[in-house]
Amino acid sequence: MLARIAHELYWIGRYVARADDTARMLDGLFRASLQAPGGPGTARLPWETVMTALGARPDPDEAPVSASEAVRSLTLDADSPASVTACVARARDGAKRVRDVVSREMWQTLNTLYLELDTSDLGSALRTGPYSVYAFVRERCALWWGLADETMLRDQAYAFLAAGRHAEGASMMLRMLRVSIVPSLALVDESGSSAEGPAPALLQAIGGLEAFRRSVPGPADAYPVAKFLLFEPTYPHSVAAALELVHGRLRDADPSYRTAAPLLRLARLRAELEFHRGGPPQDGGEGLASLLEHVQRELSEADAEIERRYFSGAAAQPHVVTA
Amino acid sequence: MKFRITYTTEYRYSEPVRDNLNVLRVKPATTKTQAVDDFALRVAPETRLHQYRDYFGSEVVELGVTEPHERLDIEARMHVTTSEPEPAPAGSWEAVASRGYRTEGGEHLLQTEMSPPGGALDGLLDAVRAATPAESLARVSEEIPDRFEYRSGSTFVGSTVSDLLEGGAGVCQDFVHLGLMLLRELGVASRYVSGYLFAAPEDGGPDSVEVQTHAWLEALVPDADSGPRWVGVDPTNRKLVGETHVKIGHGRNYQDVAPIRGVYRGPATSEHTAAVQMRRLNDNGA
Amino acid sequence: MPDRDSAGLMAQLVGDSREYAPAPGFVDELFADTGVPRKHAANLVTTLDGMGRVVLTELGHRRDEIFRQQGITFAISDPSGAPHERPFPLDLVPRIIPADEWELIERGLAQRLAALNAFLDDVYHGREIVREGIVPWELVLGSPEFRRAVHGVRPPGGIYFHVAGCDLVRDADGGWRVLEDNLRTPSGISYVLENRLAMTRLCPELFTGYRVRPVDHYPQLLLGALRDIAPAPGREPTVVVWTPGPANSAYFEHSFLARQMGVELVEASDLVVRDDICYMRTTEGLSRVDAIYRRLDDDFIDPLEFRPDSLLGVPGLIRAYRAGTVALANAVGTGVADDKAVYRYVPEMISYYLGEKPLLENVQTYLLREPEQLDAVLDRLDGVVVKPTDQSGGKGVFIGPRASDAELARQRELVLRDPSLWIAQELVCLSTTPTVTESGALVPRHVDLRPFAVCGAEFRIIPGGLTRVALREGSMIVNSSRGGGSKDTWVLDAAGPHVAEVEDVAARELPDMPTLEQATWTGQEQQQQQQQQHGSGRAGGDG
Repeated sequence: MLARIAHELYWIGRYVARADDTARMLDGLFRASLQAPGGPGTARLPWETVMTALGARPDPDEAPVSASEAVRSLTLDADSPASVTACVARARDGAKRVRDVVSREMWQTLNTLYLELDTSDLGSALRTGPYSVYAFVRERCALWWGLADETMLRDQAYAFLAAGRHAEGASMMLRMLRVSIVPSLALVDESGSSAEGPAPALLQAIGGLEAFRRSVPGPADAYPVAKFLLFEPTYPHSVAAALELVHGRLRDADPSYRTAAPLLRLARLRAELEFHRGGPPQDGGEGLASLLEHVQRELSEADAEIERRYFSGAAAQPHVVTA
Repeated sequence: MKFRITYTTEYRYSEPVRDNLNVLRVKPATTKTQAVDDFALRVAPETRLHQYRDYFGSEVVELGVTEPHERLDIEARMHVTTSEPEPAPAGSWEAVASRGYRTEGGEHLLQTEMSPPGGALDGLLDAVRAATPAESLARVSEEIPDRFEYRSGSTFVGSTVSDLLEGGAGVCQDFVHLGLMLLRELGVASRYVSGYLFAAPEDGGPDSVEVQTHAWLEALVPDADSGPRWVGVDPTNRKLVGETHVKIGHGRNYQDVAPIRGVYRGPATSEHTAAVQMRRLNDNGA
Repeated sequence: MPDRDSAGLMAQLVGDSREYAPAPGFVDELFADTGVPRKHAANLVTTLDGMGRVVLTELGHRRDEIFRQQGITFAISDPSGAPHERPFPLDLVPRIIPADEWELIERGLAQRLAALNAFLDDVYHGREIVREGIVPWELVLGSPEFRRAVHGVRPPGGIYFHVAGCDLVRDADGGWRVLEDNLRTPSGISYVLENRLAMTRLCPELFTGYRVRPVDHYPQLLLGALRDIAPAPGREPTVVVWTPGPANSAYFEHSFLARQMGVELVEASDLVVRDDICYMRTTEGLSRVDAIYRRLDDDFIDPLEFRPDSLLGVPGLIRAYRAGTVALANAVGTGVADDKAVYRYVPEMISYYLGEKPLLENVQTYLLREPEQLDAVLDRLDGVVVKPTDQSGGKGVFIGPRASDAELARQRELVLRDPSLWIAQELVCLSTTPTVTESGALVPRHVDLRPFAVCGAEFRIIPGGLTRVALREGSMIVNSSRGGGSKDTWVLDAAGPHVAEVEDVAARELPDMPTLEQATWTGQEQQQQQQQQHGSGRAGGDG
């Protein structure tokens, strides 16, 4: 298929996933922020941390960010790379350019989402009740993916769309893990168990609390939560599961997958994760922290390789360079 | 007296059942007038047995058969030696009303059933009122068999005292429940007793004609000189309990000492028969 | 407690709160009897006034829709006796409890529950408190909830109830009193959690200016307690929630808790006892069960020991319980302690087992089984509340001051039939709190409070609990099965904010968030490079 189209689809997948994940996180975090921090085991995720994780670094010299500011910025700010409305706009923009490839219903879903957000008075909705905004966004995104599953051929178009979705998921999860859990991993006591820190708050924010409880019998301490979100193959949003899906979809799309650089890198990364899954906890959580850093680096490399291999054939905007 | 007692129970199921759990109260108690020389329980299909003593002191055996089966056979064999109890003490009604008696009697003072409505019990109550508690006890053991017919099939295991009064006939369980109600109404603590009765055949042979477990009651009778004592009386057979009665255990009513209770899994229906063989042995155990 | 707010605050009020008139003779939770909001209610009242009737009514409709969609309902019987599902009625005006008041309630409850636990241990072993003549033996040995089958059995940790709900009321003198203890299968915590969730979604602006203590750690507390008591040395314990099934009126709560704790929700047919051990049937065969949070009454849990006709029970479960291979929450036989007649002796229990005076008072209670008390009560039947000792859910409650002559005569007759089945209490003047009517107006309605305690290795009490409100004017019957509603209960946080310090890893090490523009730039760069390498011509690309 056309490199340009593949490129668009990949990024639509990324942006829709980003909008969805951000909306879910903001809903959970906003709700937690209405209430007091509570007793032990209810440490909150500070808004600065979340904004940093989502690429919207607040000025470290300024006063602490309030909930309403963070919510407004991460929902409405057109310049912020993760803001919900910005992501929806970009996804819709991309979808316009591939209208012949996605189904009519898919286009309508995304377009309706964009128009609703564009014409509503989101500012006041965010003040009186952001829940309904986020619920709407998430419903539409779920509908988008459901329709993709129902109406698209399992061809290269589908593969790149899905690859983008899962690549974004893995990246987002890694970022959240690194900013919120790593410090708590350092607080390992004699029995080898870690402090809780904001691990439960993180689970709440990403919507994995019930899945975690079903899967892991013990309390939501930093170490078990980090392991769950990094390795657990049965949890579809874990890094390992997401990477598996990216690899799988790219393999579907690439006839020469056996020698394709990004696929080789992803395969090696999956094997590394598999290898570390059963390993014993390392002292001070350093092992896990450095593993997270390593995985993120590898993922960035894989991103670049994906761009190079599949999309660089796309004619970019003309740009004059004087040599 | 010495006895050899065999209690057998058989279940037959219309189709295989599983997870068949049973609770048995068939082992005789050890009391001042009774000693258990030996006791053995066999079950087919074979399974583990668990024994313990319940709240009322009765010996309980629990067993469960897990795998599918169509019949369950249980046989308990025991040797018991009994002696004649002391005669009933002659304490007074004032003693029955005393705090010490009430504390001793405890839960056995409480009725376990609603009284029949409309004063249906009044005539009987008048008939058993007497000068001393011991006399009332004796009257209970006479009035009931006088007024009611012993007939099996007219009542069932869940029957109430009202059913007995209306129907006019019942079995030992019903007679005992009525006796308990009367005595408790008079303020006398009394309890239901399950056990075996040796009823000598007319020809003087060694085997009891009573082929089921039997029920009687014990009442707490005050003693002028010492603490109140539990005295057994058999309202079905019009007599005080003696050497021919072998006690298994007591409770507030039948439910507390039922000889066997069972639950199984499966849509099958079941047939259940139980029988007691009681043989009097001569004094050297033959 | 009346307080002195400035006239300035009064002047800020607009709209409905100025018309709010607390009912005379009762304490209002949010307003002083002068009609001025209490200090802790000021922010809330301001926000409510700003919202106005139309918004409040509209929010009410949205709430109904959400609850209906989510199936947050409970079963009631309509006048014809047929059961039907009703969305759990949540009133949007929260009930607020300041931090220092809550601290008192917490300590009082911890004390009361410790005494009740000691009582249960005593009842099923030596019964010392009965021997010493403090509690009459009839109340213990004569109670149908005294379970002889578990006499002498001590559950793990000596803890008899793992979930306890004590109903509290605030009386006309402003003090808190315990109305009733619930130690068997107290329910309602799921509504507490769902109410809070609904409030944060529907009307987050009401939270402005408040630090409300969260409640959503309850499932974790319960799971922790269940894991604590599970007899599973050296391995991960298996915990389950046991429900009678979807036909049960509290089924929503059973499934809710199972899901939140991440454990299986089992029914009787899923469980089997073999050789003293309890198992559940799974796709991989029998799996051992170590701790069961059971929502069935004792009567139904084992047909071998209790009601033989119970199809909801597991034969042999008591045998396993006695053998100590499975833990039950709550333990068997706790009903002895939450009987309304035994309630009357709780102050004596606190003194006997703890050597302390009660921090939370009982309501003055008369046992009608005592002839003198019976006579005294019958003399003033129109001035007291009469309750049957063996019922729950407000059934059979008779309120003297509200009764007609015919009703008085009937109640007298009922009591005389068997006085030991009845107790009488002084009428408690339940406090009121502002509640929204269907038209959006604010009116005072009577409320009580049911905090929930989880007793594992330690007592933990969820901040607040279920506030139940009688929706009819003047009514003091708050039970949901008889037309009551509920409110979110806010316990305010005393301490300052203590947000966990999270080291700023990100600023140093996180790469930028990838965006399409960057990617495009990379591709373009690539193209430039290739152009330079190959001179002219397009860079190839796969199709």
